[in-house]
Amino acid sequence: MDETTLQVYSGLIALATALLVFVARIWRRRAQRRIAGLERLPAWTGRAIETNRPLHLSFGSAGIGGDNTPLALAGAELFHQIIEGAEAGDAPPMMSMSEAMSLPLAQDTARRAWKRGDHLARLRWLPSGRRSLAFAAALTDTARNEEPAAHVLAGSFGPELALILDSAERRGQPSLAASDQLAGQAVAFALADEALIGEELFAAPAYVSDDRRAGSDAVVMDLWRAFVIIGVTIALLLQFSQLMPEYNWPVLAGIGAVLLILGLVGYRRS
Amino acid sequence: MNFGQRLGIALSAFVAFAVGAIAVTSLLLGDNPAIFNNQPGSERAAELLALPGDVLLRLVVIVISLSVVIGIANLLYVHVGRVARGKVYSGALLASFGVAIFWHLTRQGDPSLLEAVQLPIESSLAALLFVSLVAGASRVMQKRADVWGLLFVAVVVLVLLASVPLAELAPLRAWRDWLMRVPVSAGARAFLLGIAMATVVTGQRVLLGQDRSYRG
Repeated sequence: MDETTLQVYSGLIALATALLVFVARIWRRRAQRRIAGLERLPAWTGRAIETNRPLHLSFGSAGIGGDNTPLALAGAELFHQIIEGAEAGDAPPMMSMSEAMSLPLAQDTARRAWKRGDHLARLRWLPSGRRSLAFAAALTDTARNEEPAAHVLAGSFGPELALILDSAERRGQPSLAASDQLAGQAVAFALADEALIGEELFAAPAYVSDDRRAGSDAVVMDLWRAFVIIGVTIALLLQFSQLMPEYNWPVLAGIGAVLLILGLVGYRRS
Repeated sequence: MNFGQRLGIALSAFVAFAVGAIAVTSLLLGDNPAIFNNQPGSERAAELLALPGDVLLRLVVIVISLSVVIGIANLLYVHVGRVARGKVYSGALLASFGVAIFWHLTRQGDPSLLEAVQLPIESSLAALLFVSLVAGASRVMQKRADVWGLLFVAVVVLVLLASVPLAELAPLRAWRDWLMRVPVSAGARAFLLGIAMATVVTGQRVLLGQDRSYRG
């Protein structure tokens, strides 16, 4: 694909996304699909308030200015909602990060959501960069000394996430984890009490707030996902028909229908 | 919310939108004379279109550099406070910070501090990470007693067994290779596609000045 075509496609995708978001905001709000990982957050927030212990929120190595800038912004929005929910308590939440550029973002998020002002000393920048074991080791100390009510690790983490989650598990501290790195995602699935997969972290603000903007963004992510699934299914069927010419189109249409029904059933159950 | 605050929010949203629109247009369409049909002067026009994006990216690099200074200030602020409350580890961190600065100033280019301290510690932590991962994998069925937990454990066991250098386990290697080539590769692509789609949606929210940081 030449550069001009790529530019045109990129522009079209950006415009289509903006249009879909606009349409989704006009539509009446519909029920969102369930994301099991987010359903325990209110209980953890309540526990933090009752036990007067902080929540630990971490960006990992996600930060502004890098390739995971939108991830850092999505994490900040989720953290904003969590902190606002925990404001009835006395212990301000702790926020940790290994990317220096996420420090101003965390400070801004804490300032807006925790209006009592005693949050500055609760921000921890641990200078180490991506996939740092030192960062993870420092956070195991946090789990021991600060005794957070729960850990919400939403950002960019590698396999070092295992150290943090194992430490939290041994101390009976519940955890929710999400990462844009494959290794981190696998560790989150295995070790965290709850894990968000793929784009679920980006959709999370819609589930913890009443903001219509966040809701419409989540709807558009689902729409894009449906488009991709339909596109991949059609491409698969076309490929299949060339590989096995003895199968006729009604058979392929039947297989396609079964795949779509299975997808819809999976969607309804998720 | 008073008029001044509302004006400030509108202004910041407008600035965000304007800068975002300029940057996206410049980065998407700049530096490609083909979009001007390669007419005379199209090289110059393409360069001019790419210029704002280039300038903004350079500004980002400067801001990122400054943010490290903010980070160091935060580090010192937090850990000096913790030392005052009697936290020993924070004292060790501040002492290490001072030693590293002194070392760099007096023995520039000498990596022995890194080799003697940092690398062994990182290696030890990597070994500890392996133990944590195995311990965590053994607890998967306690946390997720469903078909996905079972599948996860089965795949981990299969991959670990296939990695053992025993002739009796050689047939498992073909299964492991297929697993890595087909389902794992498909899952990884699906995961990255999901992230990419969500990045586009989140990006447009920021570019349209709808992000919370512009909304007061």
